[in-house]
Amino acid sequence: MDPITILLVVVVCVIVGGVFASLGVHLLPVGGAPAAMGTATGIATGTIMLMLGAAVTGLFTASTVATFSKNILLVALSGAVGSWIMMGVTMLMANIIYAFGAGVVPVSGRVEVDPITKEPQTPYKTPQCDGHGVPNVSYISGMVGAFIGGFGGAFMYFALLNYAKFEPTMAAIAAIGIFVANAILAAYNIGGTIEGFHDPKFKRLPKALFSCFFVSLFCGVFVGMVAFIGGLI
Amino acid sequence: MGEEEEKKPKAEFKFPPDETGLGIISAVIAVIIVILPGLPAVLKAVGVIFALLWGADSVRKTSKYGLGTGVPSIGVLGMGYGIVGALLGIAFVKFMGPKLGTFSSVAALGGVLLMGVLGYISGVFSNHEKIIAMKIPKLERGMMELGMAGTLAMLLEFSIVAGSLNFADVVDKAINTGLIALMFVLSMMAMFHPYNACLGPDERRPRTLMSSVEISGLLCLILGIVLVATATSLWSGVSLIIFSAIVWIVFYVKFVKACMRESDSVVGTGLIKTIE
Repeated sequence: MDPITILLVVVVCVIVGGVFASLGVHLLPVGGAPAAMGTATGIATGTIMLMLGAAVTGLFTASTVATFSKNILLVALSGAVGSWIMMGVTMLMANIIYAFGAGVVPVSGRVEVDPITKEPQTPYKTPQCDGHGVPNVSYISGMVGAFIGGFGGAFMYFALLNYAKFEPTMAAIAAIGIFVANAILAAYNIGGTIEGFHDPKFKRLPKALFSCFFVSLFCGVFVGMVAFIGGLI
Repeated sequence: MGEEEEKKPKAEFKFPPDETGLGIISAVIAVIIVILPGLPAVLKAVGVIFALLWGADSVRKTSKYGLGTGVPSIGVLGMGYGIVGALLGIAFVKFMGPKLGTFSSVAALGGVLLMGVLGYISGVFSNHEKIIAMKIPKLERGMMELGMAGTLAMLLEFSIVAGSLNFADVVDKAINTGLIALMFVLSMMAMFHPYNACLGPDERRPRTLMSSVEISGLLCLILGIVLVATATSLWSGVSLIIFSAIVWIVFYVKFVKACMRESDSVVGTGLIKTIE
């Protein structure tokens, strides 16, 4: 491929990764500080920590697979599975601690009936609280979010590694840098806590996708420039 | 030599200039040290301290209004841009090398400027009413400064470990060894941790910034140990270890003492009386 085509492919892959990161963040059950007291639905930490943890785990699996496979879909899917496992374990452990440690049942605070399992939510919610733990709908939403986010991160990693011809470490750290920038813009759009796709805040998604598209476009052009003027391609 | 350099940030802390002043002073010092890669590692460590101080001050003035996602997010954003900017900077150095000759490190500032532009753009996206609408005063400027400070800090750390801003050297010594991950984490700690730990009604700027210098000292100490361990240059590694250990210990002691002095006293009132 000639350099211009490679540059275009890299930019497109970085945009895909950034937009997927933004979409994935919107699907995670993020509880923040209120969840640490068991008074809000979600995992008791910030968006960045969750998405960064998921993305880094995804990059571990993706980079392992990338050592013996040159199939972009296989590498991206392995990254998705890595972050999938990380989020799944985190949400399960959070639920165990909430249920057996704090003594609250996982329940959503934003909807009256679980949109997937149709289980009633309001009767189990402590009054004056905004939900507890990670209920079924948030769990499924979080799994989908981690899958999409991990897929995006690994996709970006593969493009930097094989098209921009970065060294593996350099590709991973550049992918993490671009990934967190997009995830943080998405987190600012959410503004703290979100339960998943059933949350009213999920409707703000297009705004984050719009900003992340442009930020990833710039980042993609910049890493393309690194590869081009750094003499890697 | 270590003793002399160590006085500088201390004097800054006794009479801290305002936010704009500190930004300009730190940026100028860091830029001068970036474009002269032949300087000893100790002076580069001073540049790292000033760049991260600038970043911590930007985090402080931006997060004062409440971001909604916690203070760490904006520090991580700054270093995320810093990584991309530093890679861009060393690529520029390689590109401009044949034309500029010995002054090729000036080209690294191209990465700093581009990251400033990207930071400003993301600030506009975050603050614009029709897009994310965070409504934080001067967020554009804060994000711009964070991108630039992160890039400068990262370039200086590359320069300490690799000895120059040569693309092949940096990739070989700082990136492929995995040190970049450590630099990434500790630099972002130096940016976001001070305000994250100190925020509250009685937060005081000099005390917050002291914590940033302390973490930068720790980062430089680790980089010094790396320099000695990889035996790139023994003397610069040892002097860096001595200098940064002094900075770390002095500012750690000062920070803890300031916290103890300024904290409210807890008065014992005994057990709660039961009403009979």
